Amino acid sequence: MAFLRSEEHLERWLDRNGWERGASMTAPTLNELARRWWWTRLEPDWRPRTPAESQAILDEVGLTGEFWRLG
Amino acid sequence: MDAPDLRIRNHLYSTFAAEGRAQSTADTAAALELTEDQVAAAYRRLHDAHALVLAPNTTEIRMLNPFAAVETPHRVEAGGRSWFANCAWDALGIPAALHTDGTVGSQCPDCGDPLELEVRGGELIRGGELLVHFVVPARRWWDDIAFT
Repeated sequence: MAFLRSEEHLERWLDRNGWERGASMTAPTLNELARRWWWTRLEPDWRPRTPAESQAILDEVGLTGEFWRLG
Repeated sequence: MDAPDLRIRNHLYSTFAAEGRAQSTADTAAALELTEDQVAAAYRRLHDAHALVLAPNTTEIRMLNPFAAVETPHRVEAGGRSWFANCAWDALGIPAALHTDGTVGSQCPDCGDPLELEVRGGELIRGGELLVHFVVPARRWWDDIAFT
């Protein structure tokens, strides 16, 4: 996924590539998701998250609904 | 994921964070006193477990998410070092994973204009007006992680 300058740029980019709209969010929301998702990645006691744990992170930043269901 | 594979995985991450490059199977075998065959098998298991991403039909590391082992449009600088990230999400994930401030240089895929974001103290203090779009729904992210 990419950063885009505005909604207008997003629409044009999707049209040009023939892609349907998926889900968009603001960069601050993505930053909040990134902080929670990646925070432990370099820690020595890291272990793989369960799907439920990953889903909980999406839920915590308000990414709910069918598009955000992991399985 | 068993302890020997976790050891390899942790070695790959710590060296990538420090050096900005992925370790070959030969590098890792030498560093951890294993055979190259043992390391190659571990890389494949880690790939299957989505703990890293190999280039198709090879044991060359393409992604150690959030780090990218190949050049991408997303460049992250933090603590005087820099890395490429696989996507917007991963770009903001690098300062998060390193627990540090950082800047992200990227590009709007529509107009090609350079974009800059800055994270300080965990907060986005520059680039907050930008949007991010996910084409692929969550359940299909790993169908083609490079496209996602």
